[in-house]
Amino acid sequence: MNENLLEVQDLKVYFKVRAGHVHAVDGVTFAVKPGEKVAIVGESGCGKSVTALSIMRLVAQPPGVYAGGNIFFENEDLLTLSERRMQKIRGGQIGIIFQDPMSCLNPTMTIGDQIAEGLRIHRKIDKKEARARATTLLEEVGIPAAKERYDSYPHQFSGGMRQRVMIAVALACNPKLLIADEPTTALDVTVQAQILEQISSICKEFGTALILITHDLGVVAGLSDRVIVMYAGKVIEEGETNEIFSNPRHPYTIGLLNSVPRLNEERQSELNTIEGAPPDLVKPPTGCPFMARCDFAKKICNEMPSFDPVVDQPTHHKACWVDVTDPNVQAYAERRRQARREAQIVAIDEAANVLQGE
Amino acid sequence: MGRYIIRRVIQAIPLLFLVSIAMFGLIHLMPGGPVGVFLNPHLSAEGRAAINARFGLNQPLPVQYVKWLLNTFQGNFGFSFVTNQSVTQVLGEHFPPTLELFSSALLLALIVAVFLGTVSGARQGSVLDYSVTTLSYFGISMPIFFLGLLAQEVFGIWLHALPVSGQSTAGIVFDPFNAAWDQLNHLILPMLILSITFIAGWSRYMRSSMVEVRKQDYIRTARAKGASTSSVLIHHALRNALIPLITVVAIDFGSIAGGAAITETVFAWPGMGQLFISSLEARDYPVLLSMLILGAVFVIIANLLADILYAIIDPRIRYS
Amino acid sequence: MDSSEQLNTTIFDDEEPIIELTSALVQKRRSQGRIIFDRFLSNRTAMIGAIFLILMLAICFLGPTITGHNNPDFLHLADGGGTFSPPSWQFPLGTDDVGRDQFARAMDGGQVSLIIGLSSMAISIVLGVVIGALAGYFGGIIDNILMRLTDVVLSVPLYLLLFVLSTVLTDHSPRSVIFLISIFGWTTMARLVRSEFIAQKEREYVMAARTIGAKNFRLMFRHILPNAAGPIIVNATLLVGNNIILESVLSFFGFGIQPPYATWGNMIAYGQGFMDTDALLVIIPGLLIFLTVLSFNLVGDGLRDALDPYMTER
Repeated sequence: MNENLLEVQDLKVYFKVRAGHVHAVDGVTFAVKPGEKVAIVGESGCGKSVTALSIMRLVAQPPGVYAGGNIFFENEDLLTLSERRMQKIRGGQIGIIFQDPMSCLNPTMTIGDQIAEGLRIHRKIDKKEARARATTLLEEVGIPAAKERYDSYPHQFSGGMRQRVMIAVALACNPKLLIADEPTTALDVTVQAQILEQISSICKEFGTALILITHDLGVVAGLSDRVIVMYAGKVIEEGETNEIFSNPRHPYTIGLLNSVPRLNEERQSELNTIEGAPPDLVKPPTGCPFMARCDFAKKICNEMPSFDPVVDQPTHHKACWVDVTDPNVQAYAERRRQARREAQIVAIDEAANVLQGE
Repeated sequence: MGRYIIRRVIQAIPLLFLVSIAMFGLIHLMPGGPVGVFLNPHLSAEGRAAINARFGLNQPLPVQYVKWLLNTFQGNFGFSFVTNQSVTQVLGEHFPPTLELFSSALLLALIVAVFLGTVSGARQGSVLDYSVTTLSYFGISMPIFFLGLLAQEVFGIWLHALPVSGQSTAGIVFDPFNAAWDQLNHLILPMLILSITFIAGWSRYMRSSMVEVRKQDYIRTARAKGASTSSVLIHHALRNALIPLITVVAIDFGSIAGGAAITETVFAWPGMGQLFISSLEARDYPVLLSMLILGAVFVIIANLLADILYAIIDPRIRYS
Repeated sequence: MDSSEQLNTTIFDDEEPIIELTSALVQKRRSQGRIIFDRFLSNRTAMIGAIFLILMLAICFLGPTITGHNNPDFLHLADGGGTFSPPSWQFPLGTDDVGRDQFARAMDGGQVSLIIGLSSMAISIVLGVVIGALAGYFGGIIDNILMRLTDVVLSVPLYLLLFVLSTVLTDHSPRSVIFLISIFGWTTMARLVRSEFIAQKEREYVMAARTIGAKNFRLMFRHILPNAAGPIIVNATLLVGNNIILESVLSFFGFGIQPPYATWGNMIAYGQGFMDTDALLVIIPGLLIFLTVLSFNLVGDGLRDALDPYMTER
């Protein structure tokens, strides 16, 4: 049938708050093939973590609500499964690593037992065998003296080590898909590379597909085959990593890549930022969510763009009406940028006058 | 960790001494002094002096204290003014009923509170949760003696279902089986009444502890492994939620002692609590002093045990 | 240039105006006090408790003058009361074994019970805050001594100690009972305040205040204390309920307030013997204690919820 391991179709996940519903995930569609490594990038609050949790059906309901769409895993819609069936899939077929390894491990359980727990749930093995397997896993993720450290507790480990334990926990039963939600954000820079390397190699070894969620573009570049860019609960661009990095087509992606400071830039030059803030997700705009901050915006952007392939690149899709490679469009954008800068200067002057006048 | 235990034990000793000094001083401050019962107002000055000499009261206070302390270490707690028996004997007679009442109430309260707290914390916002919360509010707002009186009225007088006073039916000698049954019948009401306040308080605490724990990330991790809901609850949530409860129970030990005194009086249970009240009314100071200090020893040991238990159970403290 | 101008008009005749992003950023924010107040108001159970308390205070203190039931000790044997009479329009709560107006007694007893509860709370707060602040702020020997003292007081079971002390210190008048209860109420408060002070002592704003020359006492009471106010207020409210129960227990056993003063506690003790004839004599005061303490607990918890994450504005 379908060669895709995971197919998310038009997923909508909302959260009930006093003022209404937060549209955290608002129509997300993407697919992952077996063994593929996909990165989902976006800023805080864009919905990437909620998407990950939704795949595992771990979103707390209430206040969360699965408001629409399907999540097909090996051709089964996860959103329609019974809780029991879902429990078999969690840990057994899909594993997940979270951001903060300290709070994610039970402080009153040995790390070995926490790994063995997954094994005993999904495989019919006894305590002894589970212990042996868990010890092996600890060795595989690079914990030294695994046999002795089996009986240690999470607080006795450093952050990097704990994350390795989390990896072992997630991959204990050899799942087909691993979701890593910002696995390195809470770690020191020096350790980050090691952990990413660990994830990468272990996925390669077992043929596990990987969804890596991050806001760090550097992490993306080194690790993933494909990139999905999310903004305000929607997917706005997607394609192979090299293609996205060398040839970004959505104004947001362009802004994102531009904002990374480069070593070869002039010193004393201003940092590039994307002005403004993400839209209110309780009353999301009906058109393109990025419109308010976009230099390329036109009237037609009031209608949500369709997710179309880029010219000559069938695997590269963007949700944007505009062709940013067109020199006319670029000139238009530059004009808008100028006008905005001037308006800002005027506004600052006015504010200064008001303050002085007080 | 052994060192931690030893350190805590050593810290408790000066506290015990301070308490004994304070209580000793207190008794001597009582109106009429510690031998007030013997002081007949018509007694002549020589008579008074004779009594004071007999009880060693003409010596300076610190000397009296040391003497008393030495006696205590040898197991001599003095003699009751009322019955002239040794205090140890008097206490010994009244101890078993209190032990029976106290331990059964404590056990019941622990089990029920943990159960109710866990269940209502796990099903936050459900009807069960609201009922448990409401009942616990009622439980902590109700004075024990009032509840006891009500229970006596309802179960004893109206329903005629349970005995309302004493530890056993007076005047009848049963065969062993029926004697045990009779004793059990008498235990039910006082045990229930004594435990209610603590069930109410502890289940609230357990509930909020449970709610806190369930919000933690490691619960999400456990679910992400595919663990069943009950497994997550018991092996992950409960384990962590029980730990803070230990301290609360230890702190409440002193209240249980006081509560026992009240309950015993209301239900005419022949234990230490009743002894305390009657000794107080009779100004039987040797007994009173010993009971006060015994009570303090009890509380201090309970706190000590709680600290040790905490250190054993929580790995973060055990290995640090 | 010419060509660009030309291109400009043909392709983009629908140029967008620049969208201003400034105005929406300035929102009206409620003050902290207002946030807390609103939160408390929206808590239904807490509001029920608060309303009940206000009613109870009003009834007990204003009731006698307003309703005319201001003779708790008068024996209504001749004027339609009699002994053990059931509730009627003239005597809403009936009369007791000697013909006293129960309603008047209840209000009278309520005044005493409430005053004792509230004033002992006030004294306990002052004592507890002072001791806790000194111990927490200065640490070292002062802390050691004060905490040893607190430990000693806390080690002896409270009721036992209170019973003994009540025979030593009191003449069974309300004033002495207040004194008695408050010298034990400060212990939990002191511990609480001490830990708050220890936590706050190291915060930056304290250091900042010090750098502009604030001295110790000013720091303690003008800077740190307001930040610790939350738990103190909650604890104080719950303490009142506790004290009312304490007083009722003392009075019930005859160690607290004794006749001629009436309190809910000794009313129960008095009515105990007549439970078979007229259970109301016990039930009414007991129920009053229960409901009053319950209300204090509800209000206290409501305050705790309202004060808890008061920083965030939604």
